[in-house]
Amino acid sequence: MDQTVEKKAMDRTRRSESKVPGHYHLRLFVAGDEPNSRKAREVLKYLGERHLQGNYTLEVVDVLENYKAALEAQILFAPTLMIIDPPTKTRIIGSLSDVRRILEVLGLPEAEENP
Amino acid sequence: MNGKKPTYAELEARLAEAEEALRAIRSGEVDLVLGEDHPLVLRAKGVQEELEKSREQLEMALSGSNAGLWDLRFDPNAPHQIPDEIYLSPRLKGFIGFRDDEFPNSVSAWQGRILPEDLEVLRRSAQEHLEGRREIHEAEYRIRHRDGSIRWIHTRGKIHRDDHGVPIRWSGIDWDITERKRMEQEMASLQEQLRQAQKMEAIGRLAGGIAHDFNNALTVIRGNCQLSLLDLHEADPLYGNLKEIEQSVERAARLTQQLLAFSRKQIMQMKVVDPNALIEDLEKILRRILGEDIELTTFLEEGVGKVRVDPGQMEQAVINLAVNARDAMPRGGKLTIETANVELDEAYARDHVAVTPGPYVMLSVSDTGVGMSPEVRERAFEPFFTTKEAGKGTGLGLSMVYGIVKQSGGNIWVYSEMGKGTTFKIYLPRVEGPVEERREETLEDIPQGSETILVVEDEEVVRKLAVRLLRKQGYKVLEASDGGKAFMLCEQYDERIDLILSDVVLPGMDGRRVVERLQKIHPEAKALYMSGYTDNVIAHHGMLEQGIHFIQKPFTVGSLARKVREVIDGKDK
Repeated sequence: MDQTVEKKAMDRTRRSESKVPGHYHLRLFVAGDEPNSRKAREVLKYLGERHLQGNYTLEVVDVLENYKAALEAQILFAPTLMIIDPPTKTRIIGSLSDVRRILEVLGLPEAEENP
Repeated sequence: MNGKKPTYAELEARLAEAEEALRAIRSGEVDLVLGEDHPLVLRAKGVQEELEKSREQLEMALSGSNAGLWDLRFDPNAPHQIPDEIYLSPRLKGFIGFRDDEFPNSVSAWQGRILPEDLEVLRRSAQEHLEGRREIHEAEYRIRHRDGSIRWIHTRGKIHRDDHGVPIRWSGIDWDITERKRMEQEMASLQEQLRQAQKMEAIGRLAGGIAHDFNNALTVIRGNCQLSLLDLHEADPLYGNLKEIEQSVERAARLTQQLLAFSRKQIMQMKVVDPNALIEDLEKILRRILGEDIELTTFLEEGVGKVRVDPGQMEQAVINLAVNARDAMPRGGKLTIETANVELDEAYARDHVAVTPGPYVMLSVSDTGVGMSPEVRERAFEPFFTTKEAGKGTGLGLSMVYGIVKQSGGNIWVYSEMGKGTTFKIYLPRVEGPVEERREETLEDIPQGSETILVVEDEEVVRKLAVRLLRKQGYKVLEASDGGKAFMLCEQYDERIDLILSDVVLPGMDGRRVVERLQKIHPEAKALYMSGYTDNVIAHHGMLEQGIHFIQKPFTVGSLARKVREVIDGKDK
């Protein structure tokens, strides 16, 4: 599955140097329980347990309930993943089916993806 | 993003984002697009896949049932409008002769092939269901197949709504019910034919009954009239009056004759006839009847089989059809008469009431006239039913044809289309055997005789008339009003009795059996039956049996005298 990555202001070098990940703060904008939104939540849960070892905070914003928050964050699509910490302007649009792409944005080694 | 102009790098990044966003949308990974004021739900690919999967499962479940599947999703922005995009299953498209990839998944494309009057019904059901006024959407409609034929479809579906009752998805299944419809229509047509046949039977019985009594009255009027005329000098002032009475009686007799023909109670002189010869002999008369503006064409199949009919009656039937055709073509046209051998098989007999399978001769009379509406066609054979203006037709022409054909063991069907013309098809059972010569009626002097005749007739006026007529011709006449009296008379009468003239129906008795008993006492006596209409005795024995002589009432002095002479002399078969 394709996934869209916003590459703007990405600091790949700094991220890849950090061997021990710090605390991750993620914000996921979803559209109720629509299929892609559900799938994105499931992917993040899996990724958080397996790759972030639970060392993360995940905020889920349902745009159907909190439309204003979405507008303020200039979110145009649901689902969209915002990475608050480590701070990056990269936003991932879609159902997050390409886990490697997310790991890349988070600056985590790809090798860890394959068990 | 912000007010100032973006840098090149920012522009590039934004374009990349837009491009990626579009890809995400196109690949169906987006559930929602957010506008400033309104969210837009996209049909995400994941949903689409689930939809396809559910359709596949449904298709599989339906594979044994011959049902086609359709399924559509409402646009969340316009959930009360039926969208054009629809899933039509391959089997459904197959109903109208298309492969899956040959027909678009489009509501309008499908509806475009539905007959307009049925589309109305379908749309009404759909609208009512959409508005929640109808629990299930269900309708039957006709749709044009790729090959031009019309197929019948039964559709049934239901809208799935969200918790607020807003339509989300609408799916249903269709069946091709063409075969069922065809059978229903066949059944209805058979029932209609049966109803028609029963109606004709009832009318026939009524008409026959009236004609019978009427005939007796006419016989007496005519007989007395003729007797009186014989006694009067032509110069007598009463002579002219009586002549007029006689002419009126003739007209009335012709009418009753036609009624009797319709009611199939007419005595028919059945002969084996070549139908082609019958038509050829008629051509001259037909051309005169049709006039110059109507072209007469005949297609007479060579070697067409023979039929057993009363030739005079059959000629009358053809003439009546020709007259009818002429009146349907006031501005000219074509009349086609055709004969052909046909085999009516089991299948045909199943579809047509009162048809026995077997070899037939088909005689058809077609015109290019105004045609009949279904209402007129249904009543075409009914006596006194006419579309002609008052005074122009009796309404008995086609009734007569019907009766003649039926009494000949045949069937008649009418096919007609408004503005195109009408075809009458007569089917007569084919028979084997040599063609029998037709006896030419010649005008002879009223024959006389001196033999002894016993008249057995319960109706006094008729009996008295016959007695008077016969005595006038020189015969010695005995009379009896019923079988018992006739029997006693025969026992007491030692001399020769040459002829017994008896009514077919005597009070509580069968005229034939009475005569047979009388003939045991007087074996020399020949028998001549008279009747206004054929009674069961004759009808059930199949018209005229060989060696049995009939004279039809009302008879004239001439016809009775001639018939009596023929029978006594043994001229008639």
